[in-house]
Amino acid sequence: MARMAGGMSQEQRAQPGRAPRPIAVAIVRLWLVLLTAFAVLAAGAGYWQVAQAQDLVNRADDPLLVAAARHTARGKILDRDGTVLASSRAGPNGEPYRVYASRALAPVLGYASSVYGTSGLEQAFDAALSGVSSADPVDALLAKFRRDRFHPEDLTLSLSLPLQQAAVRLLGSNRGAVVMLDPRSGEVLVLASTPTFDASGIANPSTARAAFGAAAADPGQPLVDRATQGLYVPGSVFKIVTAVAALGSGAITPSTRYAQQPAAETTGLLVSGFRVHDGHHLFTGSEELDFARAVEVSCNIYFALAGLATGGAEMTAWADRLGFGAPIPFDLPTAASQVTGGGGSFGGGFRDDVELANAAYGQAETLVTPLQMALVAATVANDGVLMRPHLVIRRSGAGGVTLVAPEVWRQVISPDVAHQIEAAMLQAVEGPDGRQFTAGAAVPGIPVAGKSGTAQLDGSAQPHSWFIGFAPATQPQIAIAVIVEQGGDATRASPIAGQLLAQYFALARP
Amino acid sequence: MAESLVLMAQTRPRSQRRPALRPRPRRRELALLVLVAGALIVGSVSLGTTRELLAGGALRLQAAQPTQLAVYLVALASAHVVQVLAGRRTDQILLPTVGLLGGIGLLLMERLPQNLAGSVFGDALGLAGAQLVWLVLAISAIALLAVVVRSDTWLRRYKYTWAAVGIGLLLLTFVLGSESNGALLTLRLGPISGQPTELLKVILVVFLAGYLSEFRPLLVEQSTRLGPLRLPPLPYLVPMATMLAVAIGIVVIQRDLGAALLLFAVFLGLVYVATTRISYVLIGLVLFVIGSYVAYRLFGTVRVRVDIWLHPFADASGDGYQIVQSLEAFARGGILGTGLGNGLPVVGGRLPIPAIHTDFPLAALGEELGLAGILAILGLYLIVIERGLRIAAASADDFRALLATGLSRVVGGPAFIIAAGNLKLIPLTGITLPFISYGGSSLTANAVVVGLLLALSDQGVEPPPPPLLAGRRGRWLGWRAA
Repeated sequence: MARMAGGMSQEQRAQPGRAPRPIAVAIVRLWLVLLTAFAVLAAGAGYWQVAQAQDLVNRADDPLLVAAARHTARGKILDRDGTVLASSRAGPNGEPYRVYASRALAPVLGYASSVYGTSGLEQAFDAALSGVSSADPVDALLAKFRRDRFHPEDLTLSLSLPLQQAAVRLLGSNRGAVVMLDPRSGEVLVLASTPTFDASGIANPSTARAAFGAAAADPGQPLVDRATQGLYVPGSVFKIVTAVAALGSGAITPSTRYAQQPAAETTGLLVSGFRVHDGHHLFTGSEELDFARAVEVSCNIYFALAGLATGGAEMTAWADRLGFGAPIPFDLPTAASQVTGGGGSFGGGFRDDVELANAAYGQAETLVTPLQMALVAATVANDGVLMRPHLVIRRSGAGGVTLVAPEVWRQVISPDVAHQIEAAMLQAVEGPDGRQFTAGAAVPGIPVAGKSGTAQLDGSAQPHSWFIGFAPATQPQIAIAVIVEQGGDATRASPIAGQLLAQYFALARP
Repeated sequence: MAESLVLMAQTRPRSQRRPALRPRPRRRELALLVLVAGALIVGSVSLGTTRELLAGGALRLQAAQPTQLAVYLVALASAHVVQVLAGRRTDQILLPTVGLLGGIGLLLMERLPQNLAGSVFGDALGLAGAQLVWLVLAISAIALLAVVVRSDTWLRRYKYTWAAVGIGLLLLTFVLGSESNGALLTLRLGPISGQPTELLKVILVVFLAGYLSEFRPLLVEQSTRLGPLRLPPLPYLVPMATMLAVAIGIVVIQRDLGAALLLFAVFLGLVYVATTRISYVLIGLVLFVIGSYVAYRLFGTVRVRVDIWLHPFADASGDGYQIVQSLEAFARGGILGTGLGNGLPVVGGRLPIPAIHTDFPLAALGEELGLAGILAILGLYLIVIERGLRIAAASADDFRALLATGLSRVVGGPAFIIAAGNLKLIPLTGITLPFISYGGSSLTANAVVVGLLLALSDQGVEPPPPPLLAGRRGRWLGWRAA
């Protein structure tokens, strides 16, 4: 720089007769600008090559890792009984490929394909299964070019292959999902989603293109895991969330009755000029329902009133404690369930009391994942304590064995409130009037608590058929959520739940 | 010494006919070229040895493609000899600098899969073979222009003709061009294809230098005021703005955003140097922001580019793939790099970055030569820019000053734009890294730029010096005004 400026003044001195040349000064300034620009480039290169280098080279899509991982067999995935769900087989070119035990597992395990990458659990635990994560950072840098740097881990899941297959078989040709989990530990036994796809076909290089093409073209969208990612209108199963909020906040007690409720069954409940209609349990006549009876006959008016008594802010706050409002922390990516579309000024994001009244019995803008609704049932079952859901219960590799211990997520409601809701849900399955909605869910010899739902959709579409519940009602071991997409009324989902619960107890009783 | 020069100029008046060619040694150029040759030979041996090792062979020092490197070095040496024989007092730094950049590019092409070229010509010769042919042509063009161009009248006088030629070239591409990567860039005539935008930027600089130097006194006077803004007399801006608008317009229609950005940057730089008014630059920047916003709203490709730039990791296997792979390549390189030939892990027979030879050579070099190599390469571009601006500052008149400024922007601009794009500092636009990227159009255009810069660096035709003084004076050649 100095030399250059010097050169110019020299030049100016050499030509005393001419005016100073501003053009030369401008050129020096331009040089300064360009020098700065290139200094920024150098800083940018330093940022990526030094400051960010460690994070970037450890990314799973780094081709160095991909290339090395292709020659390493991934860890096995086992179910809770030790049955192998996913294993690697040597391919003709020496590169191992993945084989899966059952199509029923596809939406959960996903696939690991040399052509299409990874999805599902194979993606979520890619680092452990391929063995990248077990190498420590310094070693990883030094061992960059070694092929044996990978120490794959085997994963044991809480999943039960027979139950998972039974769930998929029972859903049959319907689109839908089943989630079963142990409310005491949060261990997930079933995470079924239909239709499924041919994950083994995608993993095998010779059939990958055809299998992936078929799955991607299927209008049933089998590549989406409905159990964790599907967002559905909940209908009446959402009344348990309203119950948690209303009883938990003290807005109602089990003996709360509403004088206007019987009349509103026939005329509709007037909320700010909008009528909430029900009228599907006219047999209760002029009886003023208490909480348990309202759950048993699934009274929309009662829950609309209870929701209004609770208020929008409390509704959203209590739902959020159950896991709404944000993706559930889980071993797989999850969609966030919502009570309301949000943005409203009424409180808790609701637009007005009409939306709140409708949301309180599961319509309006309320959308839920099957996993979320299974957690609602599990919370009630586990004395109000919500356990963090998880699939992987054991990781074993060269570095030893890691067991995943059950973890309390939060105490949502008091045990007393949980028992009040539990009693009402028991009545909804076993009570004389409840049976007509949920008859199929009953299991001989074992008391089942539950709640059915018929989620009305826009237009002429058939409603979604829902059931959530747990058993045995007194000392719950298993919670369940079933949805059959556009399955008509609740009588579709309830028998699936009943048969799966029965099979669970048959398997549990050796 | 200056006095003695003046004296000589007086005692030996400029002859009417051209002076006879008289060799003049170029010691600095020769020394630098020897260094460049040494560096390239070391690079070639490093590449060849690494390759042998990776293929499972023993550690044995050997050059990769020694013939190709030899041909290239002979071309550089010939350019040097031709200039020595021509005896002009031109810049001695530019050729070695550009030669090193070209050599690095050649080593990179030797190292990449040879089937990347993707044209009849490239497939027949292989990537490195084709690049070598273009490099030899480019070096020849540099030497030819440096020796032959003794007058700038043909550039100065026919600026509107040049403008018309440039626009005509673009229109031709528009009608006959073929599309790649969403951009209509390539003009095919039989087996030969080229990208006219590469030449357009040179032509635009010639036009702008001619126009701005002619009307500079008028443009500097502020005759129009718009509120707080001081504008030049508007009528004098119209032809210039029209030319630029047509060029950028066509380039934008062809979706060649990198070229549009470059043309605009060159324009702003030249207007500033010509007028020294920072307000013009600010107005230009405001227009640029508005234009960018409009482009963002109008063109899906622009939106995609910007989104990829902001969130490349959100879709690392889809839209963000190339830039994420580029950043990972930089990261793998670290400070010292993996060594030539030892980077770019191939998965399933494919390179991680498809456009590595055209748009991402810096990422490849960043991996194999590390941050140290990147800094060196950036430094080489800065040297080219600095030489260009130095030639501009030392020029005898405005036209030559503006022309040299613009030409050095034409090399420095793309280098910055593509490097910044590779490093995720700005949205990625497809533009070549001068002298390194694969491609004949880019190499030819940049060779024309360097050749013209060399010609401009000659301080005018002078009688040959007496033999006694020749050696000492050589040290000051690039510098002192005549």
